[in-house]
Amino acid sequence: MKQLSGRAWVFGDDINTDVIHPPQFFSLDPAIVRRGLFNGLDPELQGRLEPGDIVVAGRNFGCGSSRETSIQSLQLNQIGAVVAVDFARIFFRNATNNALPCVNFADPADRKKIHAGQRIELCFDEWTLCTDAGDRVDLDPAGSFVRSVWEAGGLLQLLGTGSST
Amino acid sequence: MGLTISDKVLTVHAIDRHESDSVLRVGIDALLGHDATISLLIDRFERLGLSIWDPKRVIFTNDHFSPPADAERADISARFLAFSRRLRLNHLLIDKGICHQLLVEHELCQPGSLIVGADSHTIMAGALGVCATGMGSTDILFALATGTTWMRVPETIKITFRGLLPNACNGRDVVLQLLSLLGEHEARYRTLELHDESQSKLLQDERFAISNMAVEMGAKFGIFVPDEITVEYCTKRDGVSPTALTLPDVDARYEREIDVDLTTLRPLVAKPWSPANVTPVDELERTPITTAFLGSCASGRLADIRVAAEIMAGKKVNERVRFVVIPASIEVFKQALKLGYVEVLTEAGAVFNQSSCGPCGGIDKGVLGSQDVCVSTSNRNFRGRMGHWDSATYLASARTVATAALRGYVGEMA
Repeated sequence: MKQLSGRAWVFGDDINTDVIHPPQFFSLDPAIVRRGLFNGLDPELQGRLEPGDIVVAGRNFGCGSSRETSIQSLQLNQIGAVVAVDFARIFFRNATNNALPCVNFADPADRKKIHAGQRIELCFDEWTLCTDAGDRVDLDPAGSFVRSVWEAGGLLQLLGTGSST
Repeated sequence: MGLTISDKVLTVHAIDRHESDSVLRVGIDALLGHDATISLLIDRFERLGLSIWDPKRVIFTNDHFSPPADAERADISARFLAFSRRLRLNHLLIDKGICHQLLVEHELCQPGSLIVGADSHTIMAGALGVCATGMGSTDILFALATGTTWMRVPETIKITFRGLLPNACNGRDVVLQLLSLLGEHEARYRTLELHDESQSKLLQDERFAISNMAVEMGAKFGIFVPDEITVEYCTKRDGVSPTALTLPDVDARYEREIDVDLTTLRPLVAKPWSPANVTPVDELERTPITTAFLGSCASGRLADIRVAAEIMAGKKVNERVRFVVIPASIEVFKQALKLGYVEVLTEAGAVFNQSSCGPCGGIDKGVLGSQDVCVSTSNRNFRGRMGHWDSATYLASARTVATAALRGYVGEMA
């Protein structure tokens, strides 16, 4: 994975998993899980998503429940990555385990430079985010363990590989 | 510099370290799972042809859909139970209560152990001096198959409780006070190491409530330093005292230290839609309610049901309020029955439901409609969590919830 580009969907601080994916959409049916993304916040939002779109948020994105349906729903809607000031612990693990990149702004103030609907591009070689307005902001490079999980395609690909991962 | 409890527990459980990171591979002592989140891993576990690492150290229960409220959930429940039986688990607890309560009622839950669970409130077992934390289904699948997981050693915030807890307050008021100090994020990725230096010592049930909601501040672990209260609880439960307690070094290094004087604490509520949106209940404007809920893994224990029964004895629930009570486990329910609390509350008009998560996660009987305003002992009042997006939930102690159920409103309650 070298780079991703898509439209930015911008959210605030402390966006919890019940807001990302309301509990009534908990299901084993992918169609239901897919439809639930941000449904309480805006029932129309999910229908307007395009493959590769990127979620941009403030601090503590994904706090709350461990239900992995929130990650499934982001992936079923083909969200390419989440960029935030920081992430709640369980959400970050869940996303990483399913090879959905969660990346932090190097400078939290830079989140203000990203506006809803902009086209943005993430470069994982240089750890930068570029906007179609010409802004270029630094991202925190992911740790080597996290990168190894992304590159493997998720945690389950590491099963049986023991400590060599 | 000395070590904190989580420093020590993770060091003891470390198998090896990732080559270039601060990530450890650790062996776990026990694993907890429930119907909802385990159902998300069954297909992958079986497709990969995996087998379980140790059936003696796994506790599964159906607590989200117990019993199921619709056909899809009944199918999920059946799949979960069939999978659990194929795994030949030693501890498959069916319709026995909320997984976090069942964990602390179980002898696998020993001070100093490292436990992971497929639900964020697994952290509650920290109230017994355990490093316990919640994870998602993929992590749990990995741990179920290998008995291992990956962890970083977190920084630790030391919280010291001093003074004397007023009679009007309980553990829920204590943890809401912590939430007002730390917000939803300041304990993110960290251990909250809780030192009880209070005069009367917090009851074990109060400690469970506090550790449970440590995750609402972002914490990875919420660990009470084990003491005589811990030993008494474990000894009564297991018939023998715990073999060892893991204590922090006197010169342990803490990222931050916070003293909380319980003497000045007042009953608190968290207003919609954040557990950290905290205000003293007597400063909240009078807010009419339609629903009162006493239950969830955060509360719903004997101490909570007792205080509600004391308040409700000989009185009636307000005619505009539905008061739902869900004991956290069948064991709690049986004790509440024996002590007469169930009868007192039922006579007052409370509605008892099966020990389960109930409406807390918007799952089961008692969910909220668009016009509902609920005062609840559950742990999250996130928008839409307990039902309709326009419903509103205020979080509070069992005392505040029972008082509001009688009056028909919350607030203006000194």
